[in-house]
Amino acid sequence: MIGLIRSEFRKLFSTKVWLWLLIGAAALAAGFASLTLGFANNPESGLPRRDDPDLVPIALSAATGAVVFVVILSIIGITQEFRHRTATPTFLTTPRRARVIVAKLVTYVVAGAAYAIVTSLVVLAVAIPWINSSGGEVSLQGRNLSVLLGGALAVALYSLLGVGIGALVRNQVGAIVGVLVYLFVIEPIIRGIPATDTYYRWLPGGAQEALAATAQEGPDLLQRWQGGLLLIGYGLVSAGLAMALTLWRDVH
Amino acid sequence: MLQDDGRIVVSGLTKSYGQVKAVDNLSFTVEPGSVTGFLGPNGAGKTTTLRMILGLVVPDGGQATIGGNRYVTLRQPIKEVGAVLDPTFHPGRSGRNHLRAYSAAAGLPDKRVDDVLAQVGLATAARRKAGGYSLGMRQRLGLATALLGDPQVLILDEPANGLDPEGITWLRGFLRHLARAEGRTILVSSHLLGEVQQTVDRVVILAAGRLVREGTIDELAGADRVLVRSPHAQALQHALTGQGIAVESTEPGVLIVSGADTPTVGRAAYTAGIELHELSTARSDLEEIYFRLTAGEEQFAGSAAAAEPKESAA
Repeated sequence: MIGLIRSEFRKLFSTKVWLWLLIGAAALAAGFASLTLGFANNPESGLPRRDDPDLVPIALSAATGAVVFVVILSIIGITQEFRHRTATPTFLTTPRRARVIVAKLVTYVVAGAAYAIVTSLVVLAVAIPWINSSGGEVSLQGRNLSVLLGGALAVALYSLLGVGIGALVRNQVGAIVGVLVYLFVIEPIIRGIPATDTYYRWLPGGAQEALAATAQEGPDLLQRWQGGLLLIGYGLVSAGLAMALTLWRDVH
Repeated sequence: MLQDDGRIVVSGLTKSYGQVKAVDNLSFTVEPGSVTGFLGPNGAGKTTTLRMILGLVVPDGGQATIGGNRYVTLRQPIKEVGAVLDPTFHPGRSGRNHLRAYSAAAGLPDKRVDDVLAQVGLATAARRKAGGYSLGMRQRLGLATALLGDPQVLILDEPANGLDPEGITWLRGFLRHLARAEGRTILVSSHLLGEVQQTVDRVVILAAGRLVREGTIDELAGADRVLVRSPHAQALQHALTGQGIAVESTEPGVLIVSGADTPTVGRAAYTAGIELHELSTARSDLEEIYFRLTAGEEQFAGSAAAAEPKESAA
């Protein structure tokens, strides 16, 4: 299994996709954090002021912007085997396909965690000097730490969803477009419409929001630990799906 | 470990795509230490069969074993069996990194990667992106992938596809070396008999998913026949049939003699005092035999090809 995980990391690092997506994730996190901090002193924004401790977790939650990039990275990680038909040498080398999927899940959870660490550092690098110079303080304890760790866990767990979706759809473009539509159109609609917003907390997005909750006003969410368990559940179902689908299908 | 030195036994393999039977109750054996040509027109089911042998496609019926084991049960398959199926790689990844992914997965030392790259003559291009490789280089990278585990058994699907004449010559020499000098068992598919005729010991011929012939090249060709031209052909025919030798006459003055060599026919003519204008050995035209064996299957083969994802894409 160690060899298989090393194999997956070699596949990951021998193309440039991971780098571009990491740059994208870092830029998005820096952008979100900057917008939050920049508008904080605008009374119209509804945000706490820049020296208010309540602003810190909101700014730090920008690190979870890595979610979409980690989902795309893990979708590419599995669909490229079908797109470029390297599934053939991969399964010739390891005919017990479930082991390949486990190695991919481990690899992309680790990669997802690494992305989360990078985006957390980026957000801290933006927030600490800005808030300090505005007379506030960024403490890395209590709620702030929970937001960072919960967010990082959410980012890492989304990689399981990416591998599962990739194994299900197989078509790289289709899988990525589908996920983007879900994350940026379908979930926000469910979250925003009063008739459906009570279901939002049971969706991956709701679970993620609960994990990295900042106590800002928003829809009803689960407790942080419940959100974490729910997202782990989604991840495991997705991983199981990935394994079952890969075992049964012919490879051409 | 493989038993029987890696004999490949295919028994009753069957696979349908929709209404089309791509492979229909197919059985044959690949003897260890031999080079076997797996022949048939495009769409005859060769690729599907090879993918079933290698556990990539699950058969509807029957099974295939290599050295007594199904491929998917081998613990370290690429150390026993190397396969080249339509070389596939990520275009943004270098040839060397492509191989390093599989050496890691198989627990092989990374030194093997540079060894096989040198073996197939790809060392200088190893660090370039595989997307920029020529067709010949892609086939070489495919071969390098197959050789990574230094396997006893090699399975190659249309390895000459897209190669230029120089590449085909190189490939023939390379396969001969792997088989004769290194004693490996090789199963190589092709839709052209001429492409593998000089390399293979045995042939398995497939048409429309069914076995049409299995045996050595000599068995396929049948015994040589003798061609005779004589102004007194009828008298000679009479003399030969009197000795129990089969003779047919395709045109006046020409005899085709089966089951006798040129000295026998010459002696019979001399004894009977018959003048001869030509006495020669008529070699069987293998291409013609192959064409005849697989002819009439084209229409069916066409629909099988359409139903077979790989061969229709190729």
